[in-house]
Amino acid sequence: MRQKTLRDATPTSGLASLAHLLPFARPYIGYFAVVFVLVVIYNAASVLQPYLVKIAIDRDISVAHLDLHGLIAVSLVYIGAVIASVAANYFQILLLQYVGQSIVRKIRIRLFSHIESQSMSFFDNNSLGRLVTNVSSDTETVSQFFTQFFLSMVRDGLSLVMIIAVMFELSPRIAAYCMVLLPIIFAISLLFRKRLRTAYQTTRTRLSNVVSFLAENLAGMRITQIFHQEDRQAERFRSLNEAHRSANVHEYQVSVQFNRALDLLGNVAVAGVVWVGGNAVIGHMILFGTLYAFITYIRQFFQPINSITQQWNTLQSSIVAADRIGRVLAVQPDVADPVQPLTPREVTGKIEFDQVSFAYKPGENVLNDISFAVAPGAFVGFVGATGAGKSSIMSLLTRFYDVSQGRVTVDDVDVREYRQEDLHRMIGLVQQDVHLFSGTVTDNIRMFRGEFSEQDVIRAAEAVGADEIIRRLPQGYETKLFAKGANLSMGERQLVSFARVVLLNPRVLILDEATASLDSQTEAWVQRGLQAVAKNRTTLVIAHRLSTIRHADQIIVLDRGRIIEQGDHETLVAKGGMYARLYEKSGIEAPATAAVDILTLSPVARG
Amino acid sequence: MPGEHLPNADAPCFSCRLVAPSTRQARRTRLCAAEVGECAIEDPRHLLRQFLMAKKWSYAVANVSIILSEIVMVQFPRILGEFTNTLSRRQLTPGRVMDYALELLLVGVVYVLLFGVGQMRNGRHGREFEYLLRKRLFDHWETLSAGYFRKRSVGDLLNHALNDVRAVREALSGGMNILTNSIFLLAATLFMTLTTINVKLTLMSLIPILFVPLLVIWWGPRIRDASRKVQESLSDMADLTEESLSAISLVKATANERVETDRFTKRVDQIVRRQLGMIQRSAMFQSFIPLLGSLSFAIALLYGGYLTVERQISLGAFVAFTLYLAMIITPLQQIGFVINNFQRASASMARLRILLSVAPDIKDSDHAVQHIEIAGDIDVRLTSFTYPDGDAPVLRNIAFSVARGQTVGIVGRTGSGKTTLANLLPRIFDPPDSSVFVDGYDIRELPLSVLRAAIAYVPQDGFLFSTSIGENIGFSSVDATPEAIEQAARNAAIYEDIMRFRDGMATQIGERGVTLSGGQKQRTAIARALLKNAPILLLDDSLSAVDMNTEKRLITRLQQIRHGKTTLIVAHRLSAVRHADLILVLDGGELVESGTHTDLIRRKGVYSALYRLQHDGEGVTG
Repeated sequence: MRQKTLRDATPTSGLASLAHLLPFARPYIGYFAVVFVLVVIYNAASVLQPYLVKIAIDRDISVAHLDLHGLIAVSLVYIGAVIASVAANYFQILLLQYVGQSIVRKIRIRLFSHIESQSMSFFDNNSLGRLVTNVSSDTETVSQFFTQFFLSMVRDGLSLVMIIAVMFELSPRIAAYCMVLLPIIFAISLLFRKRLRTAYQTTRTRLSNVVSFLAENLAGMRITQIFHQEDRQAERFRSLNEAHRSANVHEYQVSVQFNRALDLLGNVAVAGVVWVGGNAVIGHMILFGTLYAFITYIRQFFQPINSITQQWNTLQSSIVAADRIGRVLAVQPDVADPVQPLTPREVTGKIEFDQVSFAYKPGENVLNDISFAVAPGAFVGFVGATGAGKSSIMSLLTRFYDVSQGRVTVDDVDVREYRQEDLHRMIGLVQQDVHLFSGTVTDNIRMFRGEFSEQDVIRAAEAVGADEIIRRLPQGYETKLFAKGANLSMGERQLVSFARVVLLNPRVLILDEATASLDSQTEAWVQRGLQAVAKNRTTLVIAHRLSTIRHADQIIVLDRGRIIEQGDHETLVAKGGMYARLYEKSGIEAPATAAVDILTLSPVARG
Repeated sequence: MPGEHLPNADAPCFSCRLVAPSTRQARRTRLCAAEVGECAIEDPRHLLRQFLMAKKWSYAVANVSIILSEIVMVQFPRILGEFTNTLSRRQLTPGRVMDYALELLLVGVVYVLLFGVGQMRNGRHGREFEYLLRKRLFDHWETLSAGYFRKRSVGDLLNHALNDVRAVREALSGGMNILTNSIFLLAATLFMTLTTINVKLTLMSLIPILFVPLLVIWWGPRIRDASRKVQESLSDMADLTEESLSAISLVKATANERVETDRFTKRVDQIVRRQLGMIQRSAMFQSFIPLLGSLSFAIALLYGGYLTVERQISLGAFVAFTLYLAMIITPLQQIGFVINNFQRASASMARLRILLSVAPDIKDSDHAVQHIEIAGDIDVRLTSFTYPDGDAPVLRNIAFSVARGQTVGIVGRTGSGKTTLANLLPRIFDPPDSSVFVDGYDIRELPLSVLRAAIAYVPQDGFLFSTSIGENIGFSSVDATPEAIEQAARNAAIYEDIMRFRDGMATQIGERGVTLSGGQKQRTAIARALLKNAPILLLDDSLSAVDMNTEKRLITRLQQIRHGKTTLIVAHRLSAVRHADLILVLDGGELVESGTHTDLIRRKGVYSALYRLQHDGEGVTG
């Protein structure tokens, strides 16, 4: 089996990674066009304002005779333009966000279902936290590309172009002078952006040092106190805190310098325009209104450039995020459904392992030449030390992994011939750790599936003896379970997982017996529930207590990936091998009393 | 909604102080005397006052700079206005143009410098206060007991140290800047327009933009609220992802992938819904403010134009006025933000005040015995112990004596009270008066420094700090020599493990370094305790993750090096206490049996039953 992590996937670089996500945006191309038009309207109105004032000054106000009508007309056009611009802006924001959110929604759903469809080796090699970050924050970052970055490019780019165009239209000569500013502003912005980013990152890193120090020390305060090291830790905190303060002050200073530098340049530019423009007015090359418009435009000039340089960071982080998402989406599941699957009909539950070998990492076999057969409805126990290969056998049966050699069959059909979905409906799994979801008890039993009614759920709970216990919960079946089922006891969680299996009603049941200690009352419930679950099914149990499998039809003893003994309890005890030794050590003498003994005292015994 | 109850959070203290200063004062004095001791310093408002007083000159410089910068700033439109007038009087010459341009340049440069200086100072002081507050919080937390931390989540406390402190800083730095800036800019601008231009024009044009701050105050918290909801639904989605992926084997085994995707889709849809809801609000907000500004401008254009044509004001005045108008819209908007900002900060101050007013519950007694050497005799006569936040006693009727140099084992099943009992000795939790004695002194009468200096403690979880292994082992003493650290590591049977790491003792542990196994952690924690070489050593179930062979080695080593010193071993596995001089068996919070291993085996009680079971059952399963 290949060892596969996301780092190994073929890296795509730069914009190419964003291009991979474009198909998600394609259906919205019409919306983007509308956004573009709205942005043009918005920009036009804001660029128009100084121009209108110029008209008013040159045509209606500064001339000798009063033209109130002209003034009113200009004002009305202005108000009209403002309303159009505000409305365009409003709808543009809504529309663009709608599009951005819709795209991200699609990416998220696609990503999530893609991850869920991966085989277990994927989850062995990629950390959960990483994947959660992919789904939640990387997608969020990418959404900024479709909203912020796109908008800034269009809006700021357009507004820059429009301002420059109007300036050249008013006076090409002064406009040409003004163009000197462009490279200066860009240079200042780029220079500071880099410093600002470093300063920002330093502050962030130092703050996170402060936070992790605090988190750790709050958790371990008693250690500090008992070792009487309060002063030392306070001193450490002081130095981290101080490092953060100086970085923070520095970051602030850089940002103040940047903003004031742009301010300064703006003020210098205005003085310059007054100088150049004033002389032009004296020379009757331009009207005064034109100069007024220039003064306003030169101030408007700075905003879009500044805003565009800010988007640099957005672009870069979007590329990184898109790249990460792309890598996940590029991974193909190791375990794939067959092209022409066999549909199971009447499942009997016959299982066979035929000379199966298996390795998680190539060359390190965890199972060697495993062969055994289980008759429909039989109860089989698996015994062996940790790492003997018990769980691996079960993972092959559920096809969480594919065998390296040999084959695994259910009802004489290789598991690779079934669709995974069909296979998983035949085989049920009860795990050591009960996974619970945030939701009601009912939802947890029926796994949020709509096809089961509340009645079905109650019947399943009754079958495993969980009904009475569930009804004792604050809201009975409607009790909301906290994350990871924190408000249920170990025993209650076990029972919920049994009810789950009974409801799903698979023909084959794999049971990984819980190792956690339960009190004797709960232990008795769980044992009874177990019997109910195992009834009429082929049951394979990974046993941690020999008492559980004493009466099994067949016991398979594993050691370092091989089957070393096989047979029923009596045969194996008589054989005097490893099982017999284990059995002897477990201290079960007379079956009845010994079982009780183990049950009541096991919590202590198991450490 | 936080925005709504913000004012109330701070209301009691303000109103109390203003309405009934005498009773309030009296109550506070009483509180100080009774509980807090250093109340005057613990209250963050006092801290703030002290800070402001200490920096008063610097603040004066900063704010005077900002005020001066605004006075300079408002000359900008005036100069342009004069320039316009000179022009329309046809008196403009290239020389005059140059003068005006230079004047503008001067104004521009001086403004930027003055404002920059003020802004920089205020910003720096805000961050300095942020530092002080965090320091104060940490110092305060160091005085509080385990009982306090038991009740609170670390996340919650961190939230205070991060967000509340930041809110205060924001008000102090940005808030202060903007407030001074906007108030004076507004005042200066109004003064200029009212005196130099036209009263009626000014008032008429102001009407629409006066709504700007109101809008900000009203809308700001609502948008924040909506954005909090968006954050919540984002973390809902992340939670579901984590939940689903951590249960992936179950999801796969039940062929439930599609159902999970449906559940996920629901969360994603909720995000989209909430996000769009928030966007609607903020889009409205973002559109309204420029709209109001433009309305003002339209009035100025129409009415101002009319006045100009009528020759009631000059063209220069008209030009200057439109520029003034553009200048005040930002401060008006900012005043709104500042008000929201201050509201948040005062709520944060109130929360910090509550946090800092918690008095340490475990502290030195007033008549503590000073200057004594502890030899290590322990005497416990405990009738009952209840956790400060509990209602039923968890320990009852426990009495035993340990002579210096003895080794004591404490065993019992999970929940029998072993750890609780162990925690009483170093006063992690305070026992009742006159129930636990060391060298004949009630431990509550011993100074904490003396008591804790006499006890080396190994916690159950082997808690270590994310520093190097060497630093962890040498934690008890700043000047622990490398040799001493090495010796302690050898004694705790962790030395070879450490040497196997590439960086040896300098190996960093925790998130950014190596992850130690449970057993390695416990042994490192034991080494840390051994280095302290205290008269009393307390191992709180700290061998649970250590394998049998290593345990045997460790116990033997302990017997040698702890010769003549008291050692208490809380254990799950009986093998760890077999050699003890005295074994205490706890059950349900009571001492049910005690004696040596041989005594207890002969007695055929709880201990012997446990022993038989563990001895036989070793290694039955994985």
